[in-house]
Amino acid sequence: MVNVIVLIKQIIDIDQMKTDSEGKPILSGIPYRVENLSKNAIEAAVQLKEKNGGKVTGIIFGTEASTAAMKEAYAMGVDEGIIITGYKGSNPIVTAKAITSILKNLQYDIVVLGDQSADSYTGMLPGLLSAMTGFPLLGNANSITINGRSVRITQVGEAENAEIEADMPAIVSVTQEINQPRLPPVLQIMAAGRKPIRMEKYDGSFSNVNVISNLAPKSERKKKIFEKVDEGIPEIVKVIKEEMR
Amino acid sequence: MKALVVSDDINFLKQACTLVNGKAEYDAVYVGEGRVSGVGASTLYTVKKGTPYDAVADGILEIMGNYDIIVAGSTEFGREVAGYIAGKTGYYAATEIFSLEFSNGKAKTKRFFYGGKTVIEEESDAKVFTVAPGVIEAKEFESKPEEKDLPIKPSKVRVNKVVPKNAGGVRLEDAKIIVSVGRGIGSKENISKIEPLVNAVKGELAGSRPVCMDYGWLSEDRQVGLSGKKVSPKLYIALGISGQIQHIAGMRNSKTVIAINKDKNAPIFQECDYGIVGDIFAIVPKIVEELKK
Repeated sequence: MVNVIVLIKQIIDIDQMKTDSEGKPILSGIPYRVENLSKNAIEAAVQLKEKNGGKVTGIIFGTEASTAAMKEAYAMGVDEGIIITGYKGSNPIVTAKAITSILKNLQYDIVVLGDQSADSYTGMLPGLLSAMTGFPLLGNANSITINGRSVRITQVGEAENAEIEADMPAIVSVTQEINQPRLPPVLQIMAAGRKPIRMEKYDGSFSNVNVISNLAPKSERKKKIFEKVDEGIPEIVKVIKEEMR
Repeated sequence: MKALVVSDDINFLKQACTLVNGKAEYDAVYVGEGRVSGVGASTLYTVKKGTPYDAVADGILEIMGNYDIIVAGSTEFGREVAGYIAGKTGYYAATEIFSLEFSNGKAKTKRFFYGGKTVIEEESDAKVFTVAPGVIEAKEFESKPEEKDLPIKPSKVRVNKVVPKNAGGVRLEDAKIIVSVGRGIGSKENISKIEPLVNAVKGELAGSRPVCMDYGWLSEDRQVGLSGKKVSPKLYIALGISGQIQHIAGMRNSKTVIAINKDKNAPIFQECDYGIVGDIFAIVPKIVEELKK
Protein backbone atom coordinates (compact mmCIF):
# COMPACT_ATOMS: atom_id res chain seq x y z
CA MET A 1 0.00 0.00 0.00
CA VAL A 2 1.34 3.41 -0.90
CA ASN A 3 0.12 6.86 -0.11
CA VAL A 4 0.90 8.92 -3.19
CA ILE A 5 0.69 12.69 -3.45
CA VAL A 6 0.64 14.17 -6.93
CA LEU A 7 1.34 17.84 -7.53
CA ILE A 8 -0.71 19.27 -10.36
CA LYS A 9 -0.15 22.54 -12.13
CA GLN A 10 -2.76 24.44 -14.03
CA ILE A 11 -1.54 26.82 -16.73
CA ILE A 12 -3.10 28.88 -19.47
CA ASP A 13 -3.29 27.16 -22.83
CA ILE A 14 -0.04 28.62 -24.18
CA ASP A 15 -0.67 27.41 -27.72
CA GLN A 16 -3.74 29.65 -27.87
CA MET A 17 -2.03 32.68 -26.34
CA LYS A 18 -1.07 35.51 -28.68
CA THR A 19 0.78 38.78 -28.19
CA ASP A 20 -0.50 42.20 -29.28
CA SER A 21 1.25 44.67 -31.60
CA GLU A 22 3.41 45.90 -28.73
CA GLY A 23 4.38 42.36 -27.84
CA LYS A 24 2.26 42.18 -24.70
CA PRO A 25 0.63 38.82 -23.95
CA ILE A 26 -3.15 38.76 -24.48
CA LEU A 27 -4.43 36.67 -21.59
CA SER A 28 -8.15 37.39 -21.56
CA GLY A 29 -10.28 34.58 -22.93
CA ILE A 30 -7.44 32.06 -22.88
CA PRO A 31 -8.64 28.84 -21.26
CA TYR A 32 -6.74 27.05 -18.51
CA ARG A 33 -5.62 23.47 -18.81
CA VAL A 34 -3.71 20.87 -16.83
CA GLU A 35 -0.04 21.35 -17.64
CA ASN A 36 1.37 18.51 -19.80
CA LEU A 37 3.94 17.10 -17.42
CA SER A 38 1.39 17.22 -14.61
CA LYS A 39 -0.66 14.76 -16.66
CA ASN A 40 2.35 12.46 -16.80
CA ALA A 41 2.70 12.89 -13.02
CA ILE A 42 -0.98 12.03 -12.45
CA GLU A 43 -0.68 8.97 -14.68
CA ALA A 44 2.47 7.84 -12.83
CA ALA A 45 0.79 8.34 -9.44
CA VAL A 46 -2.33 6.42 -10.45
CA GLN A 47 -0.22 3.59 -11.88
CA LEU A 48 1.68 3.35 -8.56
CA LYS A 49 -1.65 2.99 -6.77
CA GLU A 50 -2.94 0.41 -9.24
CA LYS A 51 0.20 -1.69 -8.86
CA ASN A 52 0.81 -1.39 -5.13
CA GLY A 53 -2.60 -0.50 -3.72
CA GLY A 54 -3.21 2.66 -1.75
CA LYS A 55 -4.45 6.14 -2.42
CA VAL A 56 -3.60 9.16 -4.58
CA THR A 57 -4.10 12.70 -3.30
CA GLY A 58 -3.81 15.57 -5.75
CA ILE A 59 -2.59 19.02 -4.70
CA ILE A 60 -2.93 22.15 -6.82
CA PHE A 61 -1.50 25.52 -5.81
CA GLY A 62 -3.79 27.74 -7.80
CA THR A 63 -7.00 29.69 -7.53
CA GLU A 64 -10.74 29.00 -7.14
CA ALA A 65 -10.71 28.35 -10.90
CA SER A 66 -8.51 25.29 -10.40
CA THR A 67 -11.45 22.99 -9.67
CA ALA A 68 -11.69 22.05 -13.37
CA ALA A 69 -8.12 20.78 -13.30
CA MET A 70 -8.78 18.78 -10.13
CA LYS A 71 -11.88 17.21 -11.68
CA GLU A 72 -9.77 16.15 -14.64
CA ALA A 73 -7.30 14.58 -12.18
CA TYR A 74 -10.20 12.79 -10.41
CA ALA A 75 -11.37 11.40 -13.73
CA MET A 76 -7.87 10.01 -14.33
CA GLY A 77 -7.95 8.16 -10.99
CA VAL A 78 -6.91 10.63 -8.30
CA ASP A 79 -8.88 9.82 -5.11
CA GLU A 80 -8.79 13.04 -3.11
CA GLY A 81 -7.95 16.61 -3.97
CA ILE A 82 -6.71 19.71 -2.19
CA ILE A 83 -6.65 23.11 -3.88
CA ILE A 84 -4.49 25.71 -2.20
CA THR A 85 -5.67 29.14 -3.29
CA GLY A 86 -3.47 32.22 -3.26
CA TYR A 87 -1.40 31.70 -6.42
CA LYS A 88 -0.45 35.09 -7.79
CA GLY A 89 2.24 34.26 -10.30
CA SER A 90 5.23 32.09 -11.01
CA ASN A 91 7.52 32.04 -7.99
CA PRO A 92 8.72 28.51 -7.24
CA ILE A 93 9.77 29.33 -3.67
CA VAL A 94 6.27 30.53 -2.80
CA THR A 95 4.81 27.46 -4.50
CA ALA A 96 7.15 25.18 -2.54
CA LYS A 97 6.23 26.89 0.74
CA ALA A 98 2.51 26.65 -0.01
CA ILE A 99 2.80 22.96 -0.81
CA THR A 100 5.01 22.05 2.16
CA SER A 101 2.59 23.84 4.49
CA ILE A 102 -0.04 21.28 3.43
CA LEU A 103 2.33 18.31 3.14
CA LYS A 104 3.43 18.54 6.74
CA ASN A 105 -0.07 17.59 7.87
CA LEU A 106 -0.43 14.65 5.49
CA GLN A 107 0.74 11.03 5.63
CA TYR A 108 2.54 10.05 2.44
CA ASP A 109 5.16 7.76 0.94
CA ILE A 110 5.82 9.42 -2.40
CA VAL A 111 5.28 12.88 -3.86
CA VAL A 112 5.13 12.80 -7.67
CA LEU A 113 5.45 15.90 -9.83
CA GLY A 114 6.56 16.95 -13.31
CA ASP A 115 10.24 17.81 -13.64
CA GLN A 116 9.62 21.17 -15.36
CA SER A 117 6.41 22.89 -16.36
CA ALA A 118 5.57 24.13 -19.82
CA ASP A 119 5.08 27.83 -19.04
CA SER A 120 8.13 28.98 -17.10
CA TYR A 121 10.38 25.91 -17.10
CA THR A 122 12.09 26.88 -13.86
CA GLY A 123 12.55 23.25 -12.79
CA MET A 124 13.14 24.43 -9.22
CA LEU A 125 10.27 22.77 -7.41
CA PRO A 126 11.71 19.24 -7.02
CA GLY A 127 14.91 20.49 -5.34
CA LEU A 128 13.03 23.07 -3.27
CA LEU A 129 10.65 20.43 -1.93
CA SER A 130 13.52 18.09 -1.10
CA ALA A 131 15.21 20.84 0.91
CA MET A 132 12.02 21.94 2.66
CA THR A 133 10.68 18.48 3.53
CA GLY A 134 14.07 16.89 4.21
CA PHE A 135 13.14 13.94 1.99
CA PRO A 136 15.29 12.67 -0.89
CA LEU A 137 14.58 13.66 -4.48
CA LEU A 138 14.71 11.12 -7.27
CA GLY A 139 14.67 13.49 -10.22
CA ASN A 140 13.62 13.18 -13.88
CA ALA A 141 12.34 9.61 -13.72
CA ASN A 142 11.27 7.65 -16.77
CA SER A 143 10.36 4.64 -14.64
CA ILE A 144 9.38 4.18 -10.97
CA THR A 145 9.26 0.96 -9.00
CA ILE A 146 8.56 0.39 -5.35
CA ASN A 147 10.33 -2.36 -3.45
CA GLY A 148 9.36 -2.65 0.19
CA ARG A 149 10.15 0.72 1.72
CA SER A 150 12.40 1.93 -1.10
CA VAL A 151 11.67 3.62 -4.42
CA ARG A 152 13.83 3.02 -7.45
CA ILE A 153 13.83 5.13 -10.61
CA THR A 154 15.67 5.41 -13.88
CA GLN A 155 16.89 8.99 -14.00
CA VAL A 156 17.27 10.57 -17.41
CA GLY A 157 20.34 12.79 -17.51
CA GLU A 158 21.86 14.82 -20.33
CA ALA A 159 24.59 12.30 -21.17
CA GLU A 160 23.60 9.21 -19.24
CA ASN A 161 20.81 7.46 -17.41
CA ALA A 162 21.21 6.37 -13.81
CA GLU A 163 19.43 3.80 -11.72
CA ILE A 164 19.00 5.42 -8.33
CA GLU A 165 16.97 4.68 -5.23
CA ALA A 166 16.04 6.08 -1.85
CA ASP A 167 13.92 5.18 1.15
CA MET A 168 10.37 6.47 1.39
CA PRO A 169 9.07 9.07 1.84
CA ALA A 170 10.65 10.36 -1.35
CA ILE A 171 9.98 13.02 -3.95
CA VAL A 172 9.94 11.82 -7.55
CA SER A 173 9.87 14.14 -10.53
CA VAL A 174 8.92 12.62 -13.88
CA THR A 175 9.79 13.13 -17.55
CA GLN A 176 7.31 13.40 -20.39
CA GLU A 177 8.51 10.00 -21.67
CA ILE A 178 7.51 8.08 -18.54
CA ASN A 179 4.02 7.24 -19.77
CA GLN A 180 1.10 8.10 -22.00
CA PRO A 181 -1.51 9.83 -19.81
CA ARG A 182 -4.87 8.05 -20.03
CA LEU A 183 -8.01 9.54 -21.53
CA PRO A 184 -10.69 8.87 -18.90
CA PRO A 185 -14.02 7.33 -19.96
CA VAL A 186 -17.10 9.57 -19.91
CA LEU A 187 -18.60 7.85 -16.85
CA GLN A 188 -15.51 8.64 -14.83
CA ILE A 189 -15.55 12.25 -16.00
CA MET A 190 -19.18 12.58 -14.87
CA ALA A 191 -18.46 10.95 -11.49
CA ALA A 192 -15.46 13.25 -11.02
CA GLY A 193 -17.71 16.30 -11.21
CA ARG A 194 -19.55 15.24 -8.06
CA LYS A 195 -16.51 14.52 -5.90
CA PRO A 196 -15.70 17.05 -3.18
CA ILE A 197 -12.49 19.09 -3.24
CA ARG A 198 -10.81 20.38 -0.09
CA MET A 199 -9.98 24.09 -0.30
CA GLU A 200 -7.08 25.66 1.63
CA LYS A 201 -5.62 29.17 1.58
CA TYR A 202 -2.02 30.28 1.37
CA ASP A 203 -0.97 33.88 1.76
CA GLY A 204 2.60 34.22 0.56
CA SER A 205 4.73 37.23 -0.13
CA PHE A 206 5.87 37.83 -3.69
CA SER A 207 7.49 41.13 -2.95
CA ASN A 208 11.12 40.38 -3.79
CA VAL A 209 10.55 40.26 -7.55
CA ASN A 210 9.76 43.21 -9.72
CA VAL A 211 8.73 42.44 -13.30
CA ILE A 212 10.22 45.16 -15.50
CA SER A 213 8.71 43.88 -18.73
CA ASN A 214 7.04 40.81 -20.20
CA LEU A 215 6.99 41.12 -23.97
CA ALA A 216 7.30 38.94 -27.04
CA PRO A 217 10.94 38.83 -28.14
CA LYS A 218 11.62 40.72 -31.35
CA SER A 219 12.79 38.53 -34.18
CA GLU A 220 15.84 40.04 -35.80
CA ARG A 221 15.92 37.52 -38.61
CA LYS A 222 16.39 38.73 -42.20
CA LYS A 223 13.20 36.96 -43.37
CA LYS A 224 14.26 36.78 -47.00
CA ILE A 225 11.60 34.44 -48.35
CA PHE A 226 11.68 33.08 -51.89
CA GLU A 227 8.44 31.92 -53.41
CA LYS A 228 10.22 31.05 -56.64
CA VAL A 229 12.22 27.92 -55.90
CA ASP A 230 14.77 28.53 -58.66
CA GLU A 231 15.69 31.91 -57.22
CA GLY A 232 15.88 30.58 -53.68
CA ILE A 233 18.17 27.61 -54.22
CA PRO A 234 21.30 29.50 -55.42
CA GLU A 235 20.94 32.03 -52.59
CA ILE A 236 20.56 29.33 -49.96
CA VAL A 237 23.43 27.28 -51.34
CA LYS A 238 25.61 30.40 -51.06
CA VAL A 239 24.61 30.85 -47.40
CA ILE A 240 25.24 27.18 -46.59
CA LYS A 241 28.70 27.33 -48.18
CA GLU A 242 29.57 30.44 -46.17
CA GLU A 243 28.48 28.88 -42.89
CA MET A 244 30.36 25.66 -43.65
CA ARG A 245 33.68 27.48 -43.80
CA MET B 1 30.84 40.39 -5.38
CA LYS B 2 31.86 36.75 -5.37
CA ALA B 3 30.10 33.96 -7.21
CA LEU B 4 30.26 30.18 -7.12
CA VAL B 5 29.51 28.61 -10.50
CA VAL B 6 28.36 24.97 -10.48
CA SER B 7 27.78 22.37 -13.15
CA ASP B 8 28.10 18.68 -13.96
CA ASP B 9 28.61 19.49 -17.64
CA ILE B 10 31.75 21.18 -18.87
CA ASN B 11 29.96 23.17 -21.59
CA PHE B 12 27.27 24.41 -19.23
CA LEU B 13 29.99 25.30 -16.73
CA LYS B 14 31.77 27.42 -19.34
CA GLN B 15 28.54 29.09 -20.47
CA ALA B 16 27.70 29.99 -16.87
CA CYS B 17 31.24 31.26 -16.27
CA THR B 18 30.98 33.38 -19.43
CA LEU B 19 27.78 34.95 -18.11
CA VAL B 20 29.35 35.75 -14.74
CA ASN B 21 32.77 36.83 -16.03
CA GLY B 22 33.37 40.55 -15.63
CA LYS B 23 30.42 40.94 -13.24
CA ALA B 24 31.82 39.07 -10.28
CA GLU B 25 34.90 37.24 -9.12
CA TYR B 26 34.14 33.55 -9.23
CA ASP B 27 35.12 30.06 -8.21
CA ALA B 28 33.79 26.96 -9.92
CA VAL B 29 32.50 23.55 -8.87
CA TYR B 30 32.75 20.84 -11.50
CA VAL B 31 31.09 17.49 -10.89
CA GLY B 32 32.63 15.15 -13.41
CA GLU B 33 35.70 13.56 -14.88
CA GLY B 34 38.67 14.90 -16.76
CA ARG B 35 40.72 18.04 -16.62
CA VAL B 36 38.97 21.39 -16.58
CA SER B 37 40.59 24.37 -18.25
CA GLY B 38 39.51 27.69 -19.64
CA VAL B 39 36.85 28.49 -17.06
CA GLY B 40 38.69 31.50 -15.61
CA ALA B 41 37.87 30.67 -12.00
CA SER B 42 40.16 31.50 -9.08
CA THR B 43 39.47 28.23 -7.28
CA LEU B 44 38.21 25.04 -8.85
CA TYR B 45 36.45 22.48 -6.71
CA THR B 46 36.19 19.10 -8.34
CA VAL B 47 33.68 16.48 -7.29
CA LYS B 48 33.48 12.86 -8.36
CA LYS B 49 31.14 12.20 -11.24
CA GLY B 50 27.76 10.81 -10.22
CA THR B 51 27.74 12.39 -6.75
CA PRO B 52 24.07 13.02 -5.87
CA TYR B 53 22.61 16.54 -5.80
CA ASP B 54 22.10 16.67 -2.01
CA ALA B 55 25.67 15.59 -1.22
CA VAL B 56 27.02 18.38 -3.45
CA ALA B 57 24.46 21.00 -2.38
CA ASP B 58 25.07 20.37 1.34
CA GLY B 59 28.81 20.71 0.61
CA ILE B 60 28.20 24.02 -1.16
CA LEU B 61 26.08 25.24 1.75
CA GLU B 62 29.10 24.63 3.99
CA ILE B 63 31.29 27.07 1.98
CA MET B 64 28.40 29.35 0.95
CA GLY B 65 29.51 31.98 3.47
CA ASN B 66 32.38 32.85 1.09
CA TYR B 67 30.02 33.72 -1.75
CA ASP B 68 27.32 36.24 -2.56
CA ILE B 69 25.64 34.27 -5.34
CA ILE B 70 25.40 30.71 -6.69
CA VAL B 71 25.11 30.22 -10.45
CA ALA B 72 24.24 26.77 -11.81
CA GLY B 73 24.03 25.46 -15.34
CA SER B 74 20.49 24.26 -15.98
CA THR B 75 21.08 20.54 -16.35
CA GLU B 76 18.85 18.19 -14.36
CA PHE B 77 21.60 18.09 -11.70
CA GLY B 78 22.09 21.87 -11.78
CA ARG B 79 18.39 22.54 -11.23
CA GLU B 80 18.25 20.03 -8.37
CA VAL B 81 21.25 21.65 -6.66
CA ALA B 82 19.94 25.19 -7.22
CA GLY B 83 16.45 24.28 -5.98
CA TYR B 84 17.85 22.55 -2.92
CA ILE B 85 20.10 25.49 -2.02
CA ALA B 86 17.23 27.95 -2.55
CA GLY B 87 15.04 25.80 -0.31
CA LYS B 88 17.64 25.58 2.46
CA THR B 89 18.60 29.26 2.40
CA GLY B 90 15.29 30.84 1.42
CA TYR B 91 17.11 32.87 -1.25
CA TYR B 92 15.09 33.80 -4.30
CA ALA B 93 16.15 31.89 -7.41
CA ALA B 94 16.15 33.52 -10.83
CA THR B 95 15.93 30.59 -13.20
CA GLU B 96 16.72 29.75 -16.82
CA ILE B 97 18.21 33.19 -17.32
CA PHE B 98 20.11 34.31 -20.40
CA SER B 99 21.03 37.80 -19.27
CA LEU B 100 22.37 38.98 -15.92
CA GLU B 101 23.28 42.46 -14.65
CA PHE B 102 23.77 43.82 -11.17
CA SER B 103 22.88 47.31 -10.06
CA ASN B 104 22.22 48.77 -6.60
CA GLY B 105 22.51 45.34 -5.05
CA LYS B 106 19.71 43.98 -7.21
CA ALA B 107 19.95 41.40 -9.97
CA LYS B 108 18.42 42.23 -13.33
CA THR B 109 17.69 39.07 -15.27
CA LYS B 110 15.95 37.98 -18.46
CA ARG B 111 14.25 34.67 -19.14
CA PHE B 112 11.67 33.24 -21.49
CA PHE B 113 8.10 32.86 -20.27
CA TYR B 114 4.81 31.46 -21.56
CA GLY B 115 6.66 28.61 -23.20
CA GLY B 116 9.00 31.03 -24.97
CA LYS B 117 6.37 33.41 -26.31
CA THR B 118 7.55 36.27 -24.15
CA VAL B 119 10.71 37.42 -22.41
CA ILE B 120 10.37 38.48 -18.78
CA GLU B 121 12.82 41.03 -17.52
CA GLU B 122 12.95 41.00 -13.72
CA GLU B 123 14.68 42.82 -10.93
CA SER B 124 15.04 40.82 -7.74
CA ASP B 125 17.18 40.06 -4.75
CA ALA B 126 17.96 36.65 -6.23
CA LYS B 127 21.11 34.99 -4.98
CA VAL B 128 20.64 31.69 -6.79
CA PHE B 129 20.61 31.55 -10.58
CA THR B 130 20.27 28.87 -13.22
CA VAL B 131 21.57 29.63 -16.68
CA ALA B 132 19.47 28.48 -19.64
CA PRO B 133 21.39 26.05 -21.83
CA GLY B 134 22.72 27.06 -25.22
CA VAL B 135 21.92 30.75 -25.03
CA ILE B 136 25.41 31.99 -24.30
CA GLU B 137 28.45 31.21 -26.41
CA ALA B 138 31.01 29.82 -23.98
CA LYS B 139 34.32 31.68 -23.99
CA GLU B 140 37.67 30.22 -22.99
CA PHE B 141 39.38 32.10 -20.18
CA GLU B 142 43.03 31.93 -19.23
CA SER B 143 43.40 30.77 -15.68
CA LYS B 144 45.29 28.40 -13.46
CA PRO B 145 42.78 27.92 -10.66
CA GLU B 146 43.81 26.59 -7.33
CA GLU B 147 42.28 23.12 -7.09
CA LYS B 148 40.41 22.07 -3.98
CA ASP B 149 38.05 19.33 -2.91
CA LEU B 150 34.50 20.28 -2.03
CA PRO B 151 33.40 18.95 1.36
CA ILE B 152 30.98 16.22 0.29
CA LYS B 153 28.12 15.29 2.59
CA PRO B 154 26.25 11.99 2.90
CA SER B 155 23.40 11.56 0.41
CA LYS B 156 19.96 10.09 0.95
CA VAL B 157 20.09 8.79 -2.62
CA ARG B 158 21.81 5.54 -3.59
CA VAL B 159 23.27 5.36 -7.10
CA ASN B 160 23.12 1.76 -8.30
CA LYS B 161 24.15 2.03 -11.90
CA VAL B 162 25.02 4.67 -14.50
CA VAL B 163 24.41 3.83 -18.14
CA PRO B 164 25.85 6.17 -20.77
CA LYS B 165 23.30 7.08 -23.42
CA ASN B 166 24.21 6.07 -26.98
CA ALA B 167 27.98 6.29 -26.50
CA GLY B 168 29.50 8.44 -29.20
CA GLY B 169 26.02 9.63 -30.05
CA VAL B 170 24.67 13.07 -30.80
CA ARG B 171 25.39 16.20 -28.86
CA LEU B 172 23.18 18.65 -30.68
CA GLU B 173 24.22 21.37 -28.23
CA ASP B 174 27.72 21.32 -29.74
CA ALA B 175 26.72 20.95 -33.41
CA LYS B 176 27.83 23.67 -35.82
CA ILE B 177 25.23 22.82 -38.45
CA ILE B 178 21.86 21.21 -37.79
CA VAL B 179 19.38 19.91 -40.34
CA SER B 180 16.05 19.60 -38.58
CA VAL B 181 12.88 17.94 -39.83
CA GLY B 182 9.27 18.51 -38.86
CA ARG B 183 5.92 16.87 -39.43
CA GLY B 184 6.15 17.95 -43.08
CA ILE B 185 8.63 15.13 -43.66
CA GLY B 186 5.58 12.85 -43.75
CA SER B 187 7.08 9.51 -42.68
CA LYS B 188 10.04 7.82 -41.06
CA GLU B 189 11.11 6.44 -44.43
CA ASN B 190 11.33 9.94 -45.91
CA ILE B 191 14.12 10.85 -43.50
CA SER B 192 16.52 8.89 -45.72
CA LYS B 193 15.77 11.45 -48.46
CA ILE B 194 17.16 14.19 -46.22
CA GLU B 195 20.31 12.35 -45.21
CA PRO B 196 22.30 13.35 -48.35
CA LEU B 197 21.88 17.00 -47.27
CA VAL B 198 22.93 16.20 -43.68
CA ASN B 199 26.07 14.55 -45.04
CA ALA B 200 26.78 17.28 -47.61
CA VAL B 201 26.74 20.02 -44.97
CA LYS B 202 28.49 17.78 -42.38
CA GLY B 203 25.63 18.47 -40.01
CA GLU B 204 23.63 16.71 -37.34
CA LEU B 205 20.09 15.52 -37.92
CA ALA B 206 17.43 16.79 -35.52
CA GLY B 207 13.66 16.98 -35.34
CA SER B 208 10.67 18.76 -33.87
CA ARG B 209 8.62 17.45 -30.96
CA PRO B 210 6.04 15.55 -33.07
CA VAL B 211 8.79 13.86 -35.09
CA CYS B 212 10.77 12.73 -32.02
CA MET B 213 8.08 12.26 -29.39
CA ASP B 214 4.68 11.67 -31.00
CA TYR B 215 5.65 9.66 -34.08
CA GLY B 216 9.07 8.39 -33.01
CA TRP B 217 10.59 8.96 -36.47
CA LEU B 218 13.77 10.16 -34.75
CA SER B 219 15.10 9.34 -31.29
CA GLU B 220 14.20 11.56 -28.35
CA ASP B 221 17.74 12.87 -27.95
CA ARG B 222 17.42 14.55 -31.34
CA GLN B 223 14.46 16.69 -30.32
CA VAL B 224 14.99 20.43 -30.56
CA GLY B 225 12.57 22.57 -28.61
CA LEU B 226 11.54 23.88 -25.26
CA SER B 227 11.05 20.35 -23.96
CA GLY B 228 14.07 19.05 -25.87
CA LYS B 229 17.52 20.37 -26.69
CA LYS B 230 18.30 24.07 -26.85
CA VAL B 231 20.76 24.50 -29.68
CA SER B 232 22.85 27.36 -30.99
CA PRO B 233 24.52 26.24 -34.22
CA LYS B 234 26.02 28.52 -36.86
CA LEU B 235 23.43 27.23 -39.30
CA TYR B 236 20.00 25.73 -38.65
CA ILE B 237 18.14 24.30 -41.61
CA ALA B 238 14.44 23.70 -40.82
CA LEU B 239 12.69 21.35 -43.25
CA GLY B 240 8.92 20.92 -43.11
CA ILE B 241 8.84 22.54 -39.68
CA SER B 242 5.85 24.80 -39.12
CA GLY B 243 7.56 26.78 -36.36
CA GLN B 244 5.46 26.35 -33.25
CA ILE B 245 6.77 28.35 -30.30
CA GLN B 246 7.79 25.09 -28.60
CA HIS B 247 10.27 24.57 -31.43
CA ILE B 248 11.40 28.18 -31.84
CA ALA B 249 12.33 28.31 -28.15
CA GLY B 250 14.86 25.55 -28.78
CA MET B 251 16.57 26.98 -31.86
CA ARG B 252 16.18 30.71 -31.36
CA ASN B 253 19.88 31.18 -30.68
CA SER B 254 21.01 29.75 -34.00
CA LYS B 255 23.17 32.23 -35.90
CA THR B 256 21.58 31.74 -39.32
CA VAL B 257 18.28 30.00 -39.99
CA ILE B 258 17.12 28.58 -43.32
CA ALA B 259 13.57 27.28 -43.66
CA ILE B 260 11.90 25.28 -46.39
CA ASN B 261 8.17 24.69 -46.11
CA LYS B 262 5.35 24.37 -48.62
CA ASP B 263 2.98 26.51 -46.52
CA LYS B 264 3.93 30.13 -47.08
CA ASN B 265 2.00 31.14 -43.93
CA ALA B 266 4.02 28.82 -41.70
CA PRO B 267 5.28 30.76 -38.64
CA ILE B 268 8.83 29.48 -39.29
CA PHE B 269 9.10 32.07 -42.08
CA GLN B 270 8.87 34.78 -39.39
CA GLU B 271 11.81 33.21 -37.60
CA CYS B 272 14.22 32.52 -40.45
CA ASP B 273 16.85 34.48 -42.35
CA TYR B 274 16.31 32.72 -45.67
CA GLY B 275 13.27 30.73 -46.69
CA ILE B 276 11.96 28.88 -49.69
CA VAL B 277 8.27 28.18 -50.14
CA GLY B 278 8.06 24.78 -51.76
CA ASP B 279 8.31 21.00 -51.60
CA ILE B 280 11.28 19.85 -49.52
CA PHE B 281 11.64 16.63 -51.54
CA ALA B 282 12.04 18.61 -54.75
CA ILE B 283 14.29 21.29 -53.27
CA VAL B 284 16.66 19.30 -51.04
CA PRO B 285 18.16 17.15 -53.87
CA LYS B 286 18.80 20.31 -55.91
CA ILE B 287 20.61 21.93 -52.97
CA VAL B 288 22.72 18.79 -52.50
CA GLU B 289 23.57 18.81 -56.20
CA GLU B 290 24.59 22.48 -56.09
CA LEU B 291 26.68 21.93 -52.96
CA LYS B 292 28.66 19.22 -54.73
CA LYS B 293 29.64 21.57 -57.55
